[in-house]
Amino acid sequence: MRRPMPVLAAGQVHEVHGEGDDRAAGLAFALGLGTANRQGAVLVVRGALRQGLGLYGEGLARLGIDPARLLLVEARDAAALLRAGLEGARCPGLALVLLESEGPLKGYDLTASRRFVLAAERTQTPLVLLRHAARPQPSAAHTRWQVASAPSLPLEAPPGAQVRPPGLPMIAVEALRWRGGPAGQTWHLQWDEQHGGFRDTTGSLGGTPNRNENARTAPSGAVLPMAALRTG
Amino acid sequence: MAVERDAARHGLAPGMTLADARARCPDLATLPHDPAADAALLTHLAKAMHALTPSVTPDPPDGLLLDISGCAHFFGSEAKMVAKATEITGLSTIHALAGNPAAARALARHGTPAQRRAEDVAALPVSALDLGEAATTALRRAGLKRLGDLVTRPAPTLAARFGEGLVLRLRQVMGDVAAPLAPQPVQAPIRAEARFAEPIARTDDVLEVAEDLLRQVAAQMEQRRLGGRHFALTLHRSDGARRRLLVETGQPTRDPPLVVRLLRERIDSLADPIDPGFGFDAITLSVKRADPLDARQTGLDQSEETQDSLQALIDRLGVRLGQDAVLRLAPADRHMPEAAQVSLPAAELNSSVSFHLPAMPRPLLLFDPPQGIEVIAGVPDGPPLRLRWRGAVHEVIHAEGPERIAPEWWRQRGGHMGEGATRTTRDYYRIEDARGRRLWVFRRGLYDGMENAPSWYVHGLFP
Repeated sequence: MRRPMPVLAAGQVHEVHGEGDDRAAGLAFALGLGTANRQGAVLVVRGALRQGLGLYGEGLARLGIDPARLLLVEARDAAALLRAGLEGARCPGLALVLLESEGPLKGYDLTASRRFVLAAERTQTPLVLLRHAARPQPSAAHTRWQVASAPSLPLEAPPGAQVRPPGLPMIAVEALRWRGGPAGQTWHLQWDEQHGGFRDTTGSLGGTPNRNENARTAPSGAVLPMAALRTG
Repeated sequence: MAVERDAARHGLAPGMTLADARARCPDLATLPHDPAADAALLTHLAKAMHALTPSVTPDPPDGLLLDISGCAHFFGSEAKMVAKATEITGLSTIHALAGNPAAARALARHGTPAQRRAEDVAALPVSALDLGEAATTALRRAGLKRLGDLVTRPAPTLAARFGEGLVLRLRQVMGDVAAPLAPQPVQAPIRAEARFAEPIARTDDVLEVAEDLLRQVAAQMEQRRLGGRHFALTLHRSDGARRRLLVETGQPTRDPPLVVRLLRERIDSLADPIDPGFGFDAITLSVKRADPLDARQTGLDQSEETQDSLQALIDRLGVRLGQDAVLRLAPADRHMPEAAQVSLPAAELNSSVSFHLPAMPRPLLLFDPPQGIEVIAGVPDGPPLRLRWRGAVHEVIHAEGPERIAPEWWRQRGGHMGEGATRTTRDYYRIEDARGRRLWVFRRGLYDGMENAPSWYVHGLFP
């Protein structure tokens, strides 16, 4: 039996939580799944972040996302962040609206998230709220994820080297909430450089230590074939 | 090509060779000639001169011809008008006044101060006719040194000997034949105004009037095939105070509802809200900058509409958060990772330049500036074994590297032999810690056995 892969459905609001040090994992998850099979510009609104940490174009290109598609907005405060996100969700033709914030987000509540949902439903744009170091709070979001970096499958060591190089990007994803989906499950997703997009490697890693002790373990014996997820 | 007034006092003159000039004045500052900038300045000055007279003709490379018939009395006298013109240019200029443009031009370019004051055209040298080196030399050889010498000669003889052109130029300068000018047409400003018998105070009313004014300017712009980029709405309060609202669009537009939306955004985002007081009794709208915009047929495919809506989104966000807050990434042709990309305001970046796919892994997020860490490495120039970053210890499980990125010696003083060349060489490692976090760290400097040990930094985060 095949387990469903995590998806960030169009026209819905998704929340991605992560620890402050795992922000690259959360960003890769949101960008990788959010822009899958979607054309158009990506609006990234960043607000209340630690200064001096910027998106890097060549790294995005390695993840198969053309940096030229990105429209970066720097919001001064939470209100500006939410406002810019709402403007983006109302704009037709965007591939993804990504809001990135750190710590508690003032003004984001059930009403604000419902407003996002209504705007996203009309334009059929996925809206992802990437929240670093923040506590989940009630909202009208369709899904909520906990994303962290996971140990990668190291590459073969070059001759003469004592250590093996890190492998492809690997992230551990837990569905904290998924309306009509398998909430509570955990995936280990590896970036697929050939096809773009993530593929599920949960269970196929053997003795990969689970990074999060509290994380629920995957169903036993679930050795999975490659998921045929492709990006355009 | 040209010299300053100070330089002229030291005996320098245009047309001198550089070696000559250096010999006279060893600490001479020279700049390469920039014809495009000169032309732009001349155009700019020609526009500024419209404050004096509607008829201004540029005389490239460095002259302006102003037709001041009927204008001088506005400034009191011709002398005062000249003073005003000189003040507008802000440069040291030479001027001449004469009854016809050809004479004025000849006096300004070739006359002495005394001749210019007396408007003594007859005393000008024959080179003032601008006939070229050969004809001028021929005239001089014939003993004809001044224009006055030519005027007394019969025209057919001169024409037979020196050509028809000489006679025509001579008669133009003397004012016998008209020397027509082709003045730059004055563009009427695009503006509209509404005055009210009773002052209005509500913001909605103001915006309604603004939309009406926008329709008027849209009609004006449509006739000229222009679209506005900068719109200025000025609210005149009944007690004389004025409030100005500026909006900019990324693309030229004639669409009143779009500009009204931007104005509404601008009003919403004002730090101090508009105080209507006893109301506004007049509202003016002017287009400060307009670009060509042809009527466009709406396409059958949606891509153009999507482009339009994205542009509108950029404008709305720009008005609300400032143009500098809405950015796009663009690659820069630089070597160091942090300099290899730039963020440009999205409103100004029209063509998107694609990044090339890097051959080596690059992080998704980059620290600028890099963050210092403490590192324990097994061998001096090997990958780190353990590092301490922000107080937390990371055990390095996997590592790849080094990827050496040398400093850009061509930008440094002293080139590759320079002082900091070896000290700023970076060896990058891609490492993974026990919890699976992948970092991009680098060692700055090389081990050279000296006391200045290299330092380590975290520069990026991989997913």
